[in-house]
Amino acid sequence: MTTPPHSLQTISLRKEYPGTVALNDVSVAFTGGKIHALIGKNGAGKSTLVKIIAGATRPTGGSILIDGKEAVLRSPHDALQRGIVAVHQELSLVPELSVAENILLGRLPEKKILGQSVIDWGAVFARAGEILRGLGVTIDVHAPAGMLGVAQQQSVEIAKAMSYNPSILILDEPTSALAQHETERLFAILKTLSTSGVVLLYITHRLQELKEIADTVTALRNGSLVGTIGIAEATPSTIVHMMFGETVQRARPTDLPAPTDPFLEVRSFSRRGAFQDVSFTLKRGEVLGIAGLLGSGRTELLRAIFGADPADGGELVIDGQHVKPERPEQMRDLGVALTPENRKDQGLVQLLSTRVNLCLASLSRAASRGFLTADREDVVVRKNVRELDITVANTNAPVAFLSGGNQQKVVVGKWLNTNPRLVLLDEPTRGIDVQAKQQMFQIIWDMSRRGIGCIVVSSELEELLDICHRILIMRQGRIIGDVRPGEITLENLFAVCMKEEV
Amino acid sequence: MFRHGILEAILVVLCIVLAFTASGFLTPDNLLNVLRNVSMQGVIAFGMTMVIVAGEIDLSVGSAVAFGGCLTAFLTQKLTGEWLALPMPLAISISIVITLIVGYFVGTFTGLMRTRYQVPSFITTLALMTGLSGAAELITNGFPLTPFPSWYNYIGGGYLAGIPFPALIFLLTFIVLQVLMNHTAFGRSVYAVGGNAEAARLSGINVPRVKSMVLGITALLAALSGVMVSSEIMSGTPTTAKGWELDVIAAVIIGGTSLMGGVGRIWGTMVGVIFLGVIMNGMTLLNVSEYWQHVVRGAIILVAVLLNLLQKENSKS
Repeated sequence: MTTPPHSLQTISLRKEYPGTVALNDVSVAFTGGKIHALIGKNGAGKSTLVKIIAGATRPTGGSILIDGKEAVLRSPHDALQRGIVAVHQELSLVPELSVAENILLGRLPEKKILGQSVIDWGAVFARAGEILRGLGVTIDVHAPAGMLGVAQQQSVEIAKAMSYNPSILILDEPTSALAQHETERLFAILKTLSTSGVVLLYITHRLQELKEIADTVTALRNGSLVGTIGIAEATPSTIVHMMFGETVQRARPTDLPAPTDPFLEVRSFSRRGAFQDVSFTLKRGEVLGIAGLLGSGRTELLRAIFGADPADGGELVIDGQHVKPERPEQMRDLGVALTPENRKDQGLVQLLSTRVNLCLASLSRAASRGFLTADREDVVVRKNVRELDITVANTNAPVAFLSGGNQQKVVVGKWLNTNPRLVLLDEPTRGIDVQAKQQMFQIIWDMSRRGIGCIVVSSELEELLDICHRILIMRQGRIIGDVRPGEITLENLFAVCMKEEV
Repeated sequence: MFRHGILEAILVVLCIVLAFTASGFLTPDNLLNVLRNVSMQGVIAFGMTMVIVAGEIDLSVGSAVAFGGCLTAFLTQKLTGEWLALPMPLAISISIVITLIVGYFVGTFTGLMRTRYQVPSFITTLALMTGLSGAAELITNGFPLTPFPSWYNYIGGGYLAGIPFPALIFLLTFIVLQVLMNHTAFGRSVYAVGGNAEAARLSGINVPRVKSMVLGITALLAALSGVMVSSEIMSGTPTTAKGWELDVIAAVIIGGTSLMGGVGRIWGTMVGVIFLGVIMNGMTLLNVSEYWQHVVRGAIILVAVLLNLLQKENSKS
């Protein structure tokens, strides 16, 4: 193609949400004809950046230049008009419609019959077939999209994106659902595309893919740009360094008990499609971390231990008692608690007050013969607010008004009121500020001192190294490692999660 | 939560206006009459409030009233003749108790369909609306059953200490459900389940049980209403209470309960029920035609929902 390559540049792009800066003055340039990988931990600002470029979110400040000219993107439609197309992680095909209809959805070619516009089906299938051939894939354009495998659907998504003739194509973790050979095929397509001058932005968590596909690697951390390097310089340790930055091992309290007394034993616990044959022991007062990538089965494991989702096989032994977790209330009554990954939708009832949420898991405990009294509740609520240092103006106002960190404390408080013996914490520090994170660590350590066992799942590997006695590493639904924080470096831990030797 | 005091204020203003414009409005007899008129739909409205707060709906309450009345009459007839020859007071007592129990289980059936088979309560109760109406026709052969002695009229038409007896049942139901929703662990669970069923489940609340119980209690109250109606008209008549589900839901919504679940007060429903009762009574006293009354009632429901939604928009921003 003779047209000059396209380019995309951001200048001091900024996005603030109440209380947090999601994107902090990011200035970065991407040129066409290359594949640019965008990396960063969860919450580093990748998706915010992509949303702004795709017109789905408006920035608080800064600007975007496309081919050197400033572009104001008010909506995804605006972005499409400028040739910016994003393929998201979740597939968005209409399963009942044909492949061709999906590719040209909303823009089906028409023809006139007796002065009336009707869809020109011949042109629909011809055009769709042409786009697919251009990508080098053979898929029947007449087949319903729902009949295709995930990889083929992914190809159709990309064909759909291509039908807009994009100058900038953004792919958000396109390989997360693909098998190895399917990934290779996708890479071949992307390489063909990049030669035509399209700016390709590629977001991935699979760092081992970078060498194969990317020309440059750009990292974001805590909403700020860390930098861009060529692929030749991108060694695994450089990449980990870019993603995590300088991490200082925080001083762990010295008075944490050394746990000896086993409390929970998980025996060949399995749930189809989530995790297999998981066995480990947790001691009283032990803080056990689970490291692993998204989709490694860590969240599913916690949920199954709590009885939120059924396990297919295996059992728990809690304090000598054999248990098959079936329902959350059963596990709660055995002293197990779960603070879920998504506190907004699963941890709290946002409509209800802080006070009601704090008492929600301990209703039968708070009530006498089923009746609740304000006095008894007051005692509990005041104690929670004081001990967990919850910043709340009015405990009778909806909990939705609280900041993320305070909401998380309410979730923890809700469970402390049940007198738990084992607390499962799924991403307890996600989306909360630095001070609240530190307080969350204190709360976990306090629980440990009181003999409460904790299992902490976190994407923040450096946090696990800071707070845990011991860390289990999960990959593809299995436990593949059991390490102590003193014995492993962050880079090694990350590499094991990624299945890569440093 | 919602429009604290505004509906109450509107109701007071309405009463003052009617006191000056509608002769005979502000008399003890008329006011007690208003209370009597609203009581039979009112008892159901308190239950419906719980159902809607829990994120469900019950469209079968009108038919459940008809079925409840007919079942009481049917059982009374059978127990005093064909099957057994029990004395009338005992037969009526047993009939009423069985009717209430059957009502409760009809409601828990809706709950079971909802929680075990994911059939929306909207659909199950729509089916029950037809089904119960048919069942009422079946056991009565389509004609009113009249097995009741004259004293039976006391429940729906009598007075105790000058107050209509059905109004007392209405007030008692209000007190019980007010306490249940605001001062018990169960009431808390209802709000939590309607506000966020998944968060409630993960807090160890038995969501299926809560949903089945609120649906059961509401169907029981509909059956109770059926007993009251059968006493008032002294028969089990399969064609009574047609369309009551809409009146009941209207009162609940006017009282500020959100159709999205999680938000609503029993007291709000009390005000909503009386508000509608006063409007209808006022229009009757002012000789407004029945056709207009329907139009006005429709308009009120629409305005109430609109206010409810606007309120939510405001609190969001």
